[in-house]
Amino acid sequence: MTYLLLVLEDAFYAALAGIGFASISNPPKNAYKYCAFISAVGHAVRYVFMHNNYHEFGLIFSSFVAALAIGFVSVGMASKAKCPPETFSFPSLLPMIPGMYAYRTVEGLVMCLFTEDEQLFNHYLYLCTSNGLTCAFDILGMVLGTIVPIFILNKISFRVTRS
Amino acid sequence: MSINPKEAAVFLVDYAAWLYGCGATCSRITKNVDRIAQVWGLKFEMNILPGSIQFTTEVDDCSQVFIKKTPATGISFYKNTQLSKLSWGIADGKMSLNDAKEAFRKIITAPFTNKWVVLVLASLANLGFCRIFGGDAIAMGIVFIATLAGFRLKQILIEEHMDHKLVFLICAFFSSVIATSGYIFHLGDKPEVALGTCVLYLIPGIPYINSISDLLVGEYLVAFSRFMNALLLTFCLSVGLACGILLMNLQLF
Repeated sequence: MTYLLLVLEDAFYAALAGIGFASISNPPKNAYKYCAFISAVGHAVRYVFMHNNYHEFGLIFSSFVAALAIGFVSVGMASKAKCPPETFSFPSLLPMIPGMYAYRTVEGLVMCLFTEDEQLFNHYLYLCTSNGLTCAFDILGMVLGTIVPIFILNKISFRVTRS
Repeated sequence: MSINPKEAAVFLVDYAAWLYGCGATCSRITKNVDRIAQVWGLKFEMNILPGSIQFTTEVDDCSQVFIKKTPATGISFYKNTQLSKLSWGIADGKMSLNDAKEAFRKIITAPFTNKWVVLVLASLANLGFCRIFGGDAIAMGIVFIATLAGFRLKQILIEEHMDHKLVFLICAFFSSVIATSGYIFHLGDKPEVALGTCVLYLIPGIPYINSISDLLVGEYLVAFSRFMNALLLTFCLSVGLACGILLMNLQLF
């Protein structure tokens, strides 16, 4: 029960984040509710994959599976809302964008430039590369997960705006 | 349908440039333009380049090249959706070229989402983010205020036409200084989460996603351009954040 509440809490805040970040990219008005729902589904899927008693998957794989879920749900909802699937799926991915990894990569790089101590330099270089690789492959996995359904179901994806 | 090829080409290059400008992926731009050109019987070659569209077609047995710079408009999924609908309207024969031009003009002049609504929603989004990363109620409050102030500053500076990279640097600095209050005044148990998430509203997520999407369909130039743009903005916001932390003398590095 507690676990379910944790998943729902994660989904709720992801929905909040999904709506907010979607608003920055000016979606059609009817897209907000879909963005909230899809963000919640995506984040909840990722949460379940990353935190469970059976096998805890890593960030990149979990993000990929969550993005697949986002992609398929987006294509399904796109025909209902008559909007391109990217309108929902891309803003819904935003709560999962590894922002912290992105700027920690740059921070590591900047700190490399300001240190002369070899051990410290190696530490910052490690922070830069490990965060950078995680960030790059996480985004790659997420985008791949989202656009695979768009291309598999391309008969639907590129015809949804037809009235 | 008989159409003046030059007039059609001018419309299509403008149409493609606006789709690019409002954040459409290269595969969508190509599909939409193909759809319209096919119904108009227009033979063409289109190159999507970083920052411009190059469109070649035959006019009076002579190849003509039309180049259009992509407009510096913000990302808008509303316009993306409406422009895609417009392409189907034309392809299904419901619109003449003149009707399409009129509809196009209306779409590109459509207003953006109300800035105050975006301000509140983005601040709530970052608050949600803070919770997802394990922040407590106080950290969430700090992030909400830091985002509200930083995002409003971003809106003001962009209205003043300041360079986007500088805007990102200043806003990240501004938000991070506010977010250090958790450390300075010993508020709550998770001041590090507040500081870490306070600048996430600035991460250029859509350009990152678009760049990978373009990479996967072989549009390497546009993918690289979009990626580098996003990376530079991330670099600027990281510098702003680091400056804020150093100014407040937090000794986190």
